[in-house]
Amino acid sequence: MIEDKILLWKMRHGSSDALSRIYEKYKSDLFSLANSLLHDLDAAEDVVHDVFVSFVKSADEFQLTGSLKGYLLTCVANLSRDRVRARKREVVGMNKTDIAIPDYKIPSQALISAEELYRLREAIAKVPYEQREVVIMHLQGRRTFRQIAESQGIPIGTIQSRYRYGLEKLRSLLDGEVEK
Amino acid sequence: MKPIDWFEKLIRDLHVLEINTSAEMDRRILHDILKVQKECKTTKLAGTQPDIWRIIMKSSITKLAVAAIIVAIGLGILAIIDTGSKSGVAWAEVAKNVEASRGVIFRARGTSLRDPNDDWPNGYRIFWRSTAVSRMDVYRGGQIYRTIYLDYDGKTTIGVLHDAKKYSKEAMSDQTAHADKGWSDPQGLLNLGLSLEHHTLGQKTINGVLCEGIEGTGPDGSTGRVWVGVETGYPVLVEIEGVDGSTGTMDQFQWNVDLSAEGVEPEIPADYEPL
Repeated sequence: MIEDKILLWKMRHGSSDALSRIYEKYKSDLFSLANSLLHDLDAAEDVVHDVFVSFVKSADEFQLTGSLKGYLLTCVANLSRDRVRARKREVVGMNKTDIAIPDYKIPSQALISAEELYRLREAIAKVPYEQREVVIMHLQGRRTFRQIAESQGIPIGTIQSRYRYGLEKLRSLLDGEVEK
Repeated sequence: MKPIDWFEKLIRDLHVLEINTSAEMDRRILHDILKVQKECKTTKLAGTQPDIWRIIMKSSITKLAVAAIIVAIGLGILAIIDTGSKSGVAWAEVAKNVEASRGVIFRARGTSLRDPNDDWPNGYRIFWRSTAVSRMDVYRGGQIYRTIYLDYDGKTTIGVLHDAKKYSKEAMSDQTAHADKGWSDPQGLLNLGLSLEHHTLGQKTINGVLCEGIEGTGPDGSTGRVWVGVETGYPVLVEIEGVDGSTGTMDQFQWNVDLSAEGVEPEIPADYEPL
């Protein structure tokens, strides 16, 4: 965190190198989170882009009370939520035809086959957004339930319930496919 | 039906949802945000105090270093329970030596795919550790760059940022002091050691010292190799490989050093300002 404090300090003094390093340091986490939430690479890029633009514009105004990574992850989650709400208001039928394929990092294959992995990623996208958001923020973003609750202004019990329902939904989706 | 914790493990520990950014995307975003930064030209200084403890524990190389020590001792303790070593190293003695060591100084180097600040392979860190104090000096390009000092008895943390000529001093909570001391808790290490599977690597000479090695796998899937001097009975080299591809190497060990006599507390130059 002291590295982040210094990078932030340098960035506020106009260091483009410091800003680039912050971007390089967290881009993967932020882009992964946005893609997991939106299941759309282009939209994920837009979110990461807009979060960083806002971050640069407001860098000298906010006080970093927690980790920089946590702050940026919360920004990505908030903006992704806004995008999903906006998407719901859009005219149905505007399906994309040129969907890009994510370049997933390669995990250890000890626990899961490539096919299972594919089905898991597809299933996560089908979990209701509010539940998916909590599952992803907690497991992938490493945010505590309390931090998620505070960032959304929702009781912690609700967040925990969404997490539980989200994982149950994920499991039922995958089991349903297996039974087919 | 898969258990719930299977899903949790996949997403949290195996990072199955993490993706790489493309060079093209990086170029696009960096171009825009650097342009915005240029337009903003901010000059205001941040007024927040750093939380040194969290800084240290969130540092990937620190985690690797602590993990390596734990693996080293854990493996040693595990070997005590093992059914007799046929090698030249008495592993029971290694565990006792490490546990009884008043303090240790070592160099740590490492890379973490997730933290470009580690500056591998040019950077390294020198650690001084005992149950009373902990100091870490970070070097880049042959120059000292950071010093982080923890005094558990005096409950003080000091951070010195040599490149920025800044420093920070703050009180350490009892909880923090207790948590960091845990690295030398024999019972905790014994429990960890019991959970590790290991095999011997035989003998080899490292920097002129005949060593014997053990390789084990930690609960999180990381692999640790510990090489111990046959004659001294102290670890000489520790290597850690994380499941995410990160690596850590600890060498240049000096064991059983009296750190109270070493003057490990950093001196803050007069022209350094508080952060």
